[in-house]
Amino acid sequence: MSWEIQLIACFAASLSFSVLVRQPKGSMLISAVIATAGYSLFLLMGQNTLAYFTATLLIGLSCEICARIMKRAATLFVTGAIIPLVPGVGLYNTMRYVVEGNYHQAMSTGASTVLGLCAIALAITTTSVLFSAFFSRRGKKAAP
Amino acid sequence: MENTLTTLDAVCLAARIILESGGETYRAEETVERMCRGLGIEEVDVLALPTGLMLTLTTPEHGTLSRIVRVHDRTTDLRRIDECNSVSRLVARGEMDAETALKRLTAIHQPRKERSWLLVGASALSAGSFTVMLGGGWQDFIVSFFCGALVQLVLPPLHRRRVPMQISSMIAGALTTLMALLGTVLLAKVQVEPVISGAIMPMLPGLATTNAIRDTIRGDLVSGGARIMEAVLSAVMLAAGIGLMLSMWGGIGL
Repeated sequence: MSWEIQLIACFAASLSFSVLVRQPKGSMLISAVIATAGYSLFLLMGQNTLAYFTATLLIGLSCEICARIMKRAATLFVTGAIIPLVPGVGLYNTMRYVVEGNYHQAMSTGASTVLGLCAIALAITTTSVLFSAFFSRRGKKAAP
Repeated sequence: MENTLTTLDAVCLAARIILESGGETYRAEETVERMCRGLGIEEVDVLALPTGLMLTLTTPEHGTLSRIVRVHDRTTDLRRIDECNSVSRLVARGEMDAETALKRLTAIHQPRKERSWLLVGASALSAGSFTVMLGGGWQDFIVSFFCGALVQLVLPPLHRRRVPMQISSMIAGALTTLMALLGTVLLAKVQVEPVISGAIMPMLPGLATTNAIRDTIRGDLVSGGARIMEAVLSAVMLAAGIGLMLSMWGGIGL
C-alpha cells in the first residue's frame, strides 16, 4: 500500500473520528492535519516504541500551541490527533495469538503494544505538564 | 444566601458536565476554583473523582456549605466540555453572574437531539479509513465501513438501556470480528487483520489511557488509578470479544 493513500486515509479517519467524539467544528480540520503529520513521522521513524514517543511529542506540542492560539482546551485537539497512533493492530494480533495458543508470541506482541501505549501517554503528559509549567496564564486569565 | 446557593448549583453543574463528558478531573477541579473566585468566594476546597465530586465553600456570612455530586454516566463529548469552558472563563473574569451561568450550564447539560445518521456515517468512515491506513485494500475498506456503521447502530441503544460500557465493548469487539470473518467468506481479497484492527481503533481507550497517566503524574493518584483500571478493563473486554468470536469461528471450522 502506497504511503500517499495511507496518509489520506489517516486524515479521513481522524476527521470522521472527531465527528464521532463531537469535537467543536473549528478544531476538527486542525486536529486532522496534526494527526496526519504525527502519523507520517511515526511511519518515517519505523513504527517502533521510540517512534510512538517522538510522533506523540510532535502531536502534543502542536496541539498545545493551537490550544493557546485559539484559546481552547488542548484536549479538544489531542483527542482527534492522537487516534491514528493508538496501537489497534497490536491489540488484535495479541488476541489472535492467544486464541491460537501461541502464548510466547502473544506475550511479546502484548508487551510491545502496552509499551507503545505507555510511550504515547508519557509524551502527551510531558508536553502538557511542561507547557502549563512555562506558558500558563493561570492567575492572570483562565487556565488552558 | 440565595446568591451563594446559586453559585454552589452553578459550579456543581459545571463540574458534573465536565466529568460526564470525559474531561479530566483536574479540569473539573480548576473550573470550580476559578468560577468560585470569579463569583467572589475565596475559600473553596474541591475533590473531583471520575465517579463523583465533593466540594466545600466557606463564606463569612453563611459559614461552610458542602455538596457531593455523584457521576454515573461517562461518555466522550468534547463539545460540551468546550461550551462549559467558555462559560467558566466568562465567570472567572467576572463577566457573568451566577444566575446566568446556571442557566447557560443547564442548557448545555440538557440532552440534545443527536443527528444519529451523522454519527453512524462518521463511525463507518473512520473505521474504513483506519483499515486503509493500516494497509487494507478497497474490499477491506467496504467490510470495515459496515463494521463501523453496525457498531454505532448497536452501541447507543445499549448505552441508553444502561448496559455497562465494558459489556458493550465486548459485544462491539465480537460483532466487528464476526463481520470481518463473514467478509472473508463473501469477498475474495479481504484480510482479517487490517479490517478488525481498523474497525476497533475508534473504540480503543486511547484518550482514557492518556488521561489516566496524566492524572497519575499530576498527583491525582485516586482518579488516575481508577481511570487506568477503566481503560485497561475496556481494552481487555474488547479483546475478549474479538478472541471469543475468533475461537468460535475456528470451532465451527469454516
